[in-house]
Amino acid sequence: MAYLFGLLIERFREKDKISKLLLTLSASGSLAMLGYFKYGDFLIGNFNEMTGLSVPLLRMALPIGISFYTFQILSYTVDIYRGKVAAQRNLIDFAAYVAFFPQLIAGPIVRYSDVANQLKSRTHSLEGGALGVRRFILGLGKKVLIADLLGELCSIFRESDDKSVLFFWLYAVAYSLHIYFDFSGYSDMAIGLGKIFGFRFPENFHYPYISASIREFWQRWHMSLGSWFRDYVYIPLGGNRVSVPRHLWNLLVVWMLTGFWHGAAWNFLAWGLYFAFLLIIEKLWLRRKQNRKGEWGKNRNGERIGNWKGSQIGRHVYVILMLIISFVIFDAASVGQALSYMRAMFGAGGYSLISEEFLYYFRSYGGVLVVAVIGATPLPKKIWSRMRTTSAGGNLSVFAEPLAISAILIACTAYLVDASYHPFLYFRF
Amino acid sequence: MKEYRDRICIAIVGLVFASLVFAAWVLPPKEFSDSERRKLAQFPEFSLAAVRDGSFVEKFERYAQDQFPMRDTFRTVKAFLAYDMYRQLDNNGIYLQDGYAAKLEYPLDEDSVHHAADRFGYIYENFLVDKNVKAYVSIVPDKGYFLAGKNGYLGMDYEKLFSIMQDRMPYAAYIDICGTLDISDYYRTDTHWRQERIVDAAEKIAAGMGSAFSVKYIQRALERPFYGVYYGQSSLPLPAETIYYLTNDVLDGCKVTNYEEGTVGGIYDMDKAAGRDPYEIFLSGARSLMTIENPDCENGRELILFRDSFGSSIAPLLAEGYAKVTLVDIRYLRVDYLDKFLTFDGQDVLFLFSTSVLNHSETLT
Repeated sequence: MAYLFGLLIERFREKDKISKLLLTLSASGSLAMLGYFKYGDFLIGNFNEMTGLSVPLLRMALPIGISFYTFQILSYTVDIYRGKVAAQRNLIDFAAYVAFFPQLIAGPIVRYSDVANQLKSRTHSLEGGALGVRRFILGLGKKVLIADLLGELCSIFRESDDKSVLFFWLYAVAYSLHIYFDFSGYSDMAIGLGKIFGFRFPENFHYPYISASIREFWQRWHMSLGSWFRDYVYIPLGGNRVSVPRHLWNLLVVWMLTGFWHGAAWNFLAWGLYFAFLLIIEKLWLRRKQNRKGEWGKNRNGERIGNWKGSQIGRHVYVILMLIISFVIFDAASVGQALSYMRAMFGAGGYSLISEEFLYYFRSYGGVLVVAVIGATPLPKKIWSRMRTTSAGGNLSVFAEPLAISAILIACTAYLVDASYHPFLYFRF
Repeated sequence: MKEYRDRICIAIVGLVFASLVFAAWVLPPKEFSDSERRKLAQFPEFSLAAVRDGSFVEKFERYAQDQFPMRDTFRTVKAFLAYDMYRQLDNNGIYLQDGYAAKLEYPLDEDSVHHAADRFGYIYENFLVDKNVKAYVSIVPDKGYFLAGKNGYLGMDYEKLFSIMQDRMPYAAYIDICGTLDISDYYRTDTHWRQERIVDAAEKIAAGMGSAFSVKYIQRALERPFYGVYYGQSSLPLPAETIYYLTNDVLDGCKVTNYEEGTVGGIYDMDKAAGRDPYEIFLSGARSLMTIENPDCENGRELILFRDSFGSSIAPLLAEGYAKVTLVDIRYLRVDYLDKFLTFDGQDVLFLFSTSVLNHSETLT
C-alpha cells in the first residue's frame, strides 16, 4: 500500500490537493494498522471501563516491529510529498527498506533518505565487515552480559515479598541501566549487521546518562525517534516559532505521542507528559542557562554564560534522578503502581529502609551494576582509543581487539546456552 | 596495521562461529543431560500445523539450546563468569561456601508447609486415630540451615517452619535432630546427608521412639567417585566425593522388598552404584513402597516411615530396632489409597521429611 501511495504521491506532487489527499490516505492507512494492532485493546478496555459495557477485546498478536516500520513508512511518504526523495520503483528495494531484518524489531528508525542510495549500490569492504562484526558483538554483549542480568534483578525485585526503600532504589537504578543496555544493545547489533551488509544506519544512542539536562538526554537517547518526532510532528506543528502557549501545546502533543509510541497504556502517556513537564521547566525557567545542545550555562560555542550556579555534579544528579523516576513510570504496570513505587522510594510507602533481600541482591549484582555504570559512560571507549594511539597499544590491539571480541562472543554464547538450564527437580526430594 | 586487525578480527570470529555451526551439524544429538538429570529436547516433528501454531519454532529453539555443541562447557564458562567476573553470590540459585555447593532455599513458603501438614493430618485422621499407633515427626534441615544465614546467603525462616510443623502435628511427638547435625554431615556436591555421618541423628530418633540402637557398623566405600546433583547444577569442576555406607551383621541379614518393582534384595542396591545417581544404592532411591524385614529383631515392633529420599539412608540404621520397617513415599503413593497397601495397628509411625520437601510440598499427594 505504501509502495503504491509513494508512487502516486510522486506522480501528483505538482497537484497539491491530490498529493495531500494521497498522503493523508497513506498516513491514515498506516496509522490505522498501528492503531488496530497496538492500541485496539487499550481503547476497547478504556471504553468498557468508562461505559460499563463489555466489548470483547481483540487480543491480536502485535506484528513484529510495527511501531518501527510504520514510522519508516510515514517518513518515506512524507518525504516524497515534500520532494525530498524520489519514490522507490523497485518493490523489492522498498520492501528491503521497510522490513530489513537487522533494525526491524528495535530500530533505529531509518529514514528512506538515509539508505535510498545504499539500496541500489553498497560498498562491501573488509573494514566495513570487521566494524560490523565488532559492533554487532559489542551490542550482543550489552544485551546478554549486562541488560539481561539487570533484567533478572528487576524480575527478582518485582516478585520479592521483602521489599524495602533501598530495594526500590536498587530496582529503579537497575531498570534504568537495563533499558539502556537492552535498547542500545539492539541498536548496536542492527547497526553492526547493517555494516556487514554494506548499509550505514543512523546512530541511536550516544551515552545518554552523561547528559547534563533532559534536553540533552533526548539528543542522546533513541535519537532516531527523537529526530523523527521533531521533523514530522514538532516542526510541522510550528515548533518553537509560535506563541508561548502554542509552543507549550506543541511540546505536550509531541511528548504525549512519544509516550504512547512506546506502549498502549496510561503509564506511557504519563511518562511522555513527565518529560514534557521537565522540558517545559527547562525551557521556560532555565533556557537562558542552556545552549542549543542542552548544555547548562554555556553558549553555542561552549563558553560559560549566565549565572547558573549549580555544580557539574549537581546537574548530572538532577538528570539521573529525573531519569530514574521516569523509568519507574515507564516500567510500571499502571500509573497507580508507578505512584506507589515512587512513594516507596521516598520513604512514604511504609517500607523499612533496608531488607535482607536488598542486601543479598545488592551484593550479588554489585559487579554487574559497576560494569553497567562504567559502561554507560564514554570512559571505556576513551581508554581503549587512547591505548590504541600509543605505539605499543596499537601493536597490541592487533591481537587484543579480536581476542576481546571473541571472548565477548564466547561469553554471550555461554550465557545464552545456560538459559536452557532446567534441572529436573526430583533430586531435591 | 588496521587491515591486519580487521583480518584477524573477522578470521577469529568467523572461526568461532563456523566451528560452532559445523559442530552443531556434525555432532549427533544427545539423549540425556547428566548434569541436569533430564532428557534433552530432540529435533521436533515438522508439520504445517505445528509451524502455524508456533509450536515447531518453540520446540526447535529448545532443541537448539539443548543440543548446542559443548553445552556443558559453555555452562561452566558461564558459571565462572558469574562467580568470578561478576562476583555473583549464586549461579542459578546454587552457591558455594566452605567447599559445599548448596541451593538457595528461600523464602519460606508457609502455604507449602501448611499443605504438607494437611497431608500428614489427613493420614493421621483417616488411618492412625484409634489404631494404637505412636506418631513421631522429625525434620531434616537442608544445607542452607547451616550455611545460609551466617554467610550472608538468603535462607528460609527455619525456626518458623519447625514451629508450624509442631503446631500442626500435635498428634506426633517432635524429635529435633538439628543439634546432632552440622554441614560436614552432608555431601559437598549433593543435597543429601552422608549415611556414615548421621549415626547420631539416627540414635536420637531411635531414642525418641524408644527403640534399640546399635552403633557398631563397618564403614565401606563405593569405588566409583560420586558427583552429586549440585556438581552438575553448579557447572563447576568440583572435586569428586566418596559414598560410604554402613553395614553390620544385622543389616546384612535384612530383607528389603520393593513393592513397586516386585523385587526382593538387600539394604544396598549395588546395581545403582554404576547408575546416574549412586546415592540410589540406599534402598534403590525414591520408591513408593518398600519394607525392610529384620529377622534378628525379636521384639515384634514395626515402624511405618513416611519419608523422602533422606529417609533412604537413615532407614537402615533405624531398622535394627524393628522387626519390620515400611517405607512410604507419599509423593508416589496417593494417601487415600494407603489402606489398600498398609494395615495400621499398633506400629510406630514416623514422619521424616526434609525442609526442602516441606517448602515445596506440591508433590505430596
